[in-house]
Amino acid sequence: MENELSERLATRLANFKLKDDVIKRLAGGVIVDGLDIKRFDVCAYGICVDYFTPKMPRLDGLLGKKDLAHLEVFPYGILNPDYFHVRVGYRVDELQGAGAGIQH
Amino acid sequence: MQSERTRSGFLPDRTIHLHPTQTCNLACAHCYSESGPRERATLSLPAINRALWILRAEGYTHVSLSGGEPTVYPALLPLIGEARSIGYRVTMITNGLISPQLIDDVATRLDGIAISFDGLAARHDAIRGRQGAFARATETLARLAAKDAPVAAAISVTREAIPELPDLVDHLLQSGARALQIRPVALAGRARSATMFSALSAADQARLFLVVLALRDELQSRVPVQCDLVPARNLWQQRDDYAALAEAGEDEALSSLVNPLVITSAGAVKPMTYDFEDSFNLTTIDSISQERLDEYKRGVAVSRFRVLVAEALDGLRENAWFVDWFDHCARLSHEIAAARERPVGLFLGNTHS
Repeated sequence: MENELSERLATRLANFKLKDDVIKRLAGGVIVDGLDIKRFDVCAYGICVDYFTPKMPRLDGLLGKKDLAHLEVFPYGILNPDYFHVRVGYRVDELQGAGAGIQH
Repeated sequence: MQSERTRSGFLPDRTIHLHPTQTCNLACAHCYSESGPRERATLSLPAINRALWILRAEGYTHVSLSGGEPTVYPALLPLIGEARSIGYRVTMITNGLISPQLIDDVATRLDGIAISFDGLAARHDAIRGRQGAFARATETLARLAAKDAPVAAAISVTREAIPELPDLVDHLLQSGARALQIRPVALAGRARSATMFSALSAADQARLFLVVLALRDELQSRVPVQCDLVPARNLWQQRDDYAALAEAGEDEALSSLVNPLVITSAGAVKPMTYDFEDSFNLTTIDSISQERLDEYKRGVAVSRFRVLVAEALDGLRENAWFVDWFDHCARLSHEIAAARERPVGLFLGNTHS
């Protein structure tokens, strides 16, 4: 299990050990209307995604997501004050090594 | 004519995909153009040059050379020279089985070159039907990178190749690729009857999308990773990119209506893809002229194409998954043509039951 956890994310997603329904749930979860994905990586929640948007983000599409574990919205910063940065954590037990959804 | 600055569809450039020959030094199992060593369809250089002059005036700015294998086209260097002198940016995709002399000559004349890969060595060689094809393609990639050429790797992905993608990307980057283009294998040409690989299911597409996200995150902005598979909803939100086609007047440049434009080695001038259904063809390379293109813009054919794109865009609205846009439109072109050919009697029969 330790080896699985230290394996790079791209390999863990590519190797067909995660079941199709888990993959579809995750892919469907990370797509949010109006938000561009800029970062996508494992984190304490499972998967964390950083989105950027030039408009004040509408959160209704995000708040309804079943696997949402964490949500932050903040201005991008002085480099581009018109941008918003939305950081979302999605609960993906299978990527935490819980075992469910792993196909052998 | 309307300004060329307006966007035309989902491509950043206004592109001509030019297939000067169907001859190839390989006969790949997934080849959408069914190219091979025995295929002889080839366009004459004067016909190509004439077409490129006419199409430049219609707003096209980029020629992408494909095949067959473009490096076996005898007049490749003059073709590239002429296209550049007309004002096109010229790029090429090759299988990489090129003599070092030729690749050096070609690379200095191009604005970009992509070497195609299908997986790690065993899978690549099996699909290509040639032992050592992967090694040769890698050598060509490394040679171009060493010369500081703008070289990318174009990866065709089958279901079986997905698990190899992270290691393949590592290999290609170590060999010097400056960019990666990832595209699902289209079920066209020879791929329709191939048995050695599978097309991507909806779950495979989702998996590929996530793998690409993870690879992009690893590479940050050091190496661009472009993927032809995108969330349908994202395309729906960009549907205004097709406003020029939707609202077209007769004075619109052809490149605002049809982008990319494809010229096949048989001389057909088509919208979007090599295997787009023939009834949507614009003309042939031998009969292309300003008058013929003006007729197209006023005619029924462009209206049918407009309706097809509108229907394809509309289908994105409620699609929660992923789309390879141009392949999606090509499949729809065949469905529309098949529906037109369906005998009316079948429907009449139902009314009597």
